[in-house]
Amino acid sequence: MNFAWAKYLRAAALAAGVLSAGSALGATDVDVFFPVPVDGQLARDMATLIKQFNAAHPDIKATPVYTGSYDETLIKTRSATQAGKPPAAVIMSANFLTDLVIEDEIIAFDDLIARDGAKNDQFMGQFFPALHGNAVIDRKVYGVPFQNSTPLLYYNADHFREAGLDPDRPPQTWDDLVLAAKKLTRREGDRVTRWGILMPSNYDYGGWILSALTMSNGGRYFNEEYGGEIYYDTPTTVGALTFWSDLVHKHKVHAAGEQKGPAVSTAFLAGQASMMLLSTGSLTHVRTNAKFPYKVAFAPKNVRNAVPIGGASLVQPRGLDEAKRAAGWTLIKWLTAPEQSGWWSRATGYFAPNMRAYKLPEMVEFMAKNPDAKIAVDQLAYAKPWFATYKTVAVRKAMEDELQAMLAGKKTPKEAAAAAQRAADEIMRPYVERTALKVPATN
Amino acid sequence: MTAKGVRAALRPSRLLIGALALAWAVPFLWMLVAAFRPERVGGAGMASLVPAYVPTLANFAEAWDSADFVVYYLNTIIICAGILAVQLVTISLAGYAFARLRFPGRTVFFYLFLVQLMLAPIVLLVPNLRTVAQLGLYDTLPGVMAPYFASAFGTFLMRQAFQTVPRELEDAALTDGARWWELIVHVYLPLTRPAMIAFAIVSVTAHWNEFLWPLMVINSPDRRPLTVGLAMFTLGAEGAQAWGVTAAGTLLVVAPLLIGFLMFQRRFVNSFMASGLK
Amino acid sequence: MAELVVQMAGAGVKRVRLSRRHARNLLGLASLGPSLVFLAAFTYWPTAQVIWQSLHAGSRRTGLSFGLENFQAIAADPAFRRALSNNMVYAAGTIAPSLVLALAFALTLVHSTRFNTLLRSVLFLPVLIPLVAAASLFLFIFLPGVGLLDYYLAKLGVQGANWLGDPDVALYSIIGLTIWKNAGYYMLFFLAGLQAIPPEAYEVALLDGANLWQRLRFVTLPYLRPTLAFVLVIGLLGVITQVDHIFILTKGGPSDSTNLLLFYIYQQAVERYDPGKAAAATVVMLALLLALTALSLRRLEHNVEGRE
Repeated sequence: MNFAWAKYLRAAALAAGVLSAGSALGATDVDVFFPVPVDGQLARDMATLIKQFNAAHPDIKATPVYTGSYDETLIKTRSATQAGKPPAAVIMSANFLTDLVIEDEIIAFDDLIARDGAKNDQFMGQFFPALHGNAVIDRKVYGVPFQNSTPLLYYNADHFREAGLDPDRPPQTWDDLVLAAKKLTRREGDRVTRWGILMPSNYDYGGWILSALTMSNGGRYFNEEYGGEIYYDTPTTVGALTFWSDLVHKHKVHAAGEQKGPAVSTAFLAGQASMMLLSTGSLTHVRTNAKFPYKVAFAPKNVRNAVPIGGASLVQPRGLDEAKRAAGWTLIKWLTAPEQSGWWSRATGYFAPNMRAYKLPEMVEFMAKNPDAKIAVDQLAYAKPWFATYKTVAVRKAMEDELQAMLAGKKTPKEAAAAAQRAADEIMRPYVERTALKVPATN
Repeated sequence: MTAKGVRAALRPSRLLIGALALAWAVPFLWMLVAAFRPERVGGAGMASLVPAYVPTLANFAEAWDSADFVVYYLNTIIICAGILAVQLVTISLAGYAFARLRFPGRTVFFYLFLVQLMLAPIVLLVPNLRTVAQLGLYDTLPGVMAPYFASAFGTFLMRQAFQTVPRELEDAALTDGARWWELIVHVYLPLTRPAMIAFAIVSVTAHWNEFLWPLMVINSPDRRPLTVGLAMFTLGAEGAQAWGVTAAGTLLVVAPLLIGFLMFQRRFVNSFMASGLK
Repeated sequence: MAELVVQMAGAGVKRVRLSRRHARNLLGLASLGPSLVFLAAFTYWPTAQVIWQSLHAGSRRTGLSFGLENFQAIAADPAFRRALSNNMVYAAGTIAPSLVLALAFALTLVHSTRFNTLLRSVLFLPVLIPLVAAASLFLFIFLPGVGLLDYYLAKLGVQGANWLGDPDVALYSIIGLTIWKNAGYYMLFFLAGLQAIPPEAYEVALLDGANLWQRLRFVTLPYLRPTLAFVLVIGLLGVITQVDHIFILTKGGPSDSTNLLLFYIYQQAVERYDPGKAAAATVVMLALLLALTALSLRRLEHNVEGRE
C-alpha cells in the first residue's frame, strides 16, 4: 500500500531525529504490546513485571500496552508500525510469526544474539525444543518464547466418582473419552443439564483444538517448513472433524453450535460440563475458582499422543531505531530469563518456556504443591509447532467457519473439510504462485 | 372525553406493556444484582435476579483495578467536551449562514450538508483513518474528535432555531452598530439556548457511546475512552469470565448516563425528540 | 435585512446596498467555512478517495491497475454476499418489530401520568447506554447453560438454543438485542407525534361511530405517517452504520451468519489487509446510504425546514 511507504519514511526520519537526541534525553522510551488471553488479573501482573524491569534498568522506560486478544494484538501492532510508532517488543501469538516473516514485518534477532557473544543454537537451547518450530524460521531467530501452552483435558473428579469412573484413570484414547462422556452426561427429559465434554470452537481457539485432534489422529495439519500448504482435506483432519461432529450429533455428549472459550470454562466451573479440553493457560484460573476437586490429563489420543503448542513469543517489528531496538532486546532477554519465565508461569498457568526455570527453587516447590502444573510440562514431550502459514488468520478462519457450521449440523465433516481446503488454497494462492508454483519459463 | 375513552379502552394492554417494561428492565436488573454478588465467577446461580446474598463491593474493586476507569472517564469527558465546544462554534456559524444570509451556491451547500446527515464518519473508516494519520493525529484524542467537528444535524437544528428569532431584534442590534459575530453571540445564541442544550445532550450522548472510531484511532491504553476500555475489559478473558466483575465494570461505565438521565429526565427526552421533529 | 437599513438611510442607497450584499456573500461563505473544511476533510475528500481506491486493484508489490476488479472480487466473495443478505434480514427483523413495539408503547403510554412516565423511562434507558455496554450484558444473557436466558428457560423445563453459536439463531439474537436497544428511542418520536394529533380529529371519528381499530387506522396512523417515515429513515441508518455489538458478541460468526456490511469492511481493511475490497464494499455502502437519502429527501427537507 502506498500509504505504508510514507509511514516507513516518516518513521525513519523520526528515528534519525530520536537517535541523535536519544542520549541527551536519558532513558529510552519503549512500548511493549501484550495480549492477555486469560484473565484481567494478568494485565496487572504484567504491569508489576514491567515496573520491576524499569526499576532494575534505569536507562530504559518500558510501558506495557494491553492490546486485547492475539488477533487484536496483531492488528494493533501493524497499525502502530504503519503510523510510524512501532512498539519495541510485542508478545505475539506464536503462529503469526511465519506470516510476519513472509510479509517482512518483523526482524530477526541474530545480530543482537551475536553481539552478546552467543550463537543462535546456544541462545535457543535454553527453551524447550517443541517451541523452536514457531520461533526459528529459515534458520533465523525471529521470536523468543514467552508463554506457552498445550491443550489439557480438565475433568471434574466428583462427577467421575458419581458416574462410576475412576478419577485417577482419566480417558486416554478417544474411545475412552466417548465412553466416559456418555456416562457423565445428564439429562432431564429432553433437556441436557450436564454435558460430558465441551471443547471451544470460537475464532482462534477452534482451529487450535481441531489441530490438536488432528495431530492426535496422526496428522500434520500443515506443512511446517512451507507456509503455502495446509492439510484440511486429508483423512487425519476429516477423522478429527468426524470425531468432534459425532460427539455432538451421534453420541450427544457435547453441545451443538459454536462454543466460546469463556462459555466452556464457565460451564465447567458451574458443574454443567464434566470434562473440557482447554489450554493450560486457564489452569491458574480453574485452580483459583473451582469449588470441586478437579484433575488434568493429557489430551486423549487416537493414533498417537501429539498436541500443538499454543502461546506467544516476543518479537520486534521492523522500523525501530537502534536505541529502541537495543532497549527492547534487553527487555526481551529479561522477560524470558528463568526467574521471570517461572514467575509468569506460576501466575498464569502457562508453562515456562525457559527450561532452566524448572530448576529454580521456587518452581520446584510450586510443582511439588501443584502436580497439575506438571502434567502440562510433561506433555511437552509430545508437543509440535502450532500451525502457521501465509495469512494465518484468514486460513485459520476458513476452517473455523466450516467447523462452526459442522457443529451446528449444517455440513458433514467431509463437506466442511473440502470447503475449508478450497477456501484456504484460494487465500494462499498469491504466495504459492510466487514461490512453489513459480517454475522457470519454457522459453 | 375522547382521550379518556381511548385510555380506558387500552387498559388491558397496559398490563401487557407493564410486563414488557419489566422484561425491558431485566438486563439492568441483572447488572445490578450481579455486580454486588460475592461470587465473582459464579456458579449456576449467576443468572439469578434474586439477590439472596450479602452484597459486596469486591467486584467493583477488581473491576477498578483491572482497568483504568479514571483515565477512561477523563478521556471520554475530554472527547465529548472537545467535540461539543468546537461543534457549538461551527453549528452556530453555519446555522446563521443558512438562516439569515444569502450567498452564491447556498442551495448547493444546503444539499451538501443534508447529505452528510447520512454519511457518518465511521462509514468512511479507512480513508478517515489515513487522513488522521497524515495529520499526525493517530493515537491522539484530537484525532478521535476531528471528524465530528462539523455537524449537519446541529447546523440544521440551529438554523431552525435562529429562524424563530424576530428580525427586529437583529435590526435593532445592527443599528446599534453590532458586528456580525456580536450579533450571533449577543442576540441569537441567548435566545436559542434550549436548542443548544438539546443539541448538547444529543451530541454528548452520541459521542460518549461511540466505539468503533475510537477503537481504530487509539492505540495507547491511557488514551482509551470508556467504550473501548469496557470492550477490552469484557473480552479480556480467554480462559473464563468473571461475570460479576463484568457486571460491575459495565455498571461503572453506564452509571453517569443513567444518573444524569434520572435527574434530568424531561430535558433528555425533549432533546431527543427535538433531534427529529419540529 | 439590507433593504430595511437602506430604507432608513435614505440617500446613497445603491452603493450601500451593493457593498452590503457583497460583504454578506463573503460573510455567508465565511460562516460556513469552518464546517465546510471539516466536511470536506472527513466526508467529501474521503468519499473521493474511497471511490478512487475501489477502482484500482492490486497492491504495493504488484502495482495498481484501473478497473472493476475489486467489485468483481467482492461480488465473488461469499462473505460479502452473506453480509449483504444478513444486513437485509437484520434491517427487516429489527425495524419492523421495533416500530410496532414503539407504536404500541407510545399508544399505551401517551398520557403523562406518573406511572406512564416511569414506564417510558424504563423503556428508554437502553437507548442511553453505549451499544458495547448493552452487548456486554447480553454476552452473559446469551451464555449457554449458565446465562440468564438459559437459566430461566431451564426453570420452565425448556432447553435454550445456542443463542450466539448456532448459525441459524445468532442473527436473531443480535436482532433481539437491537430491538431492546432502540424501541424506546422510536417510542419518543411516536409520543411526540401522538401528542400533536388534534383531539378534534378523534371527536369527529367518534361522532361517525368509529371503533378503536378504525380510529387507529383512519385517524392516528395517517397523522403519524411523517413520524413513521422519519423513524424508518433513522432505523435504516442505524442498521447500516452500527456494528459495535457484532464486535463484542460474534465477530461476524458463527460461519459468517452475523456478518454485516460495515463489519465486512472492517474485516477486509483491518484484518485481511485488502484495501481494494474494503473500498469497493464501502462504495456499495455509500450507494445504499445515498439511495436512502434520495428516497427520504423530501422527508428530510421537511424536517429540516420545520413544519409549516
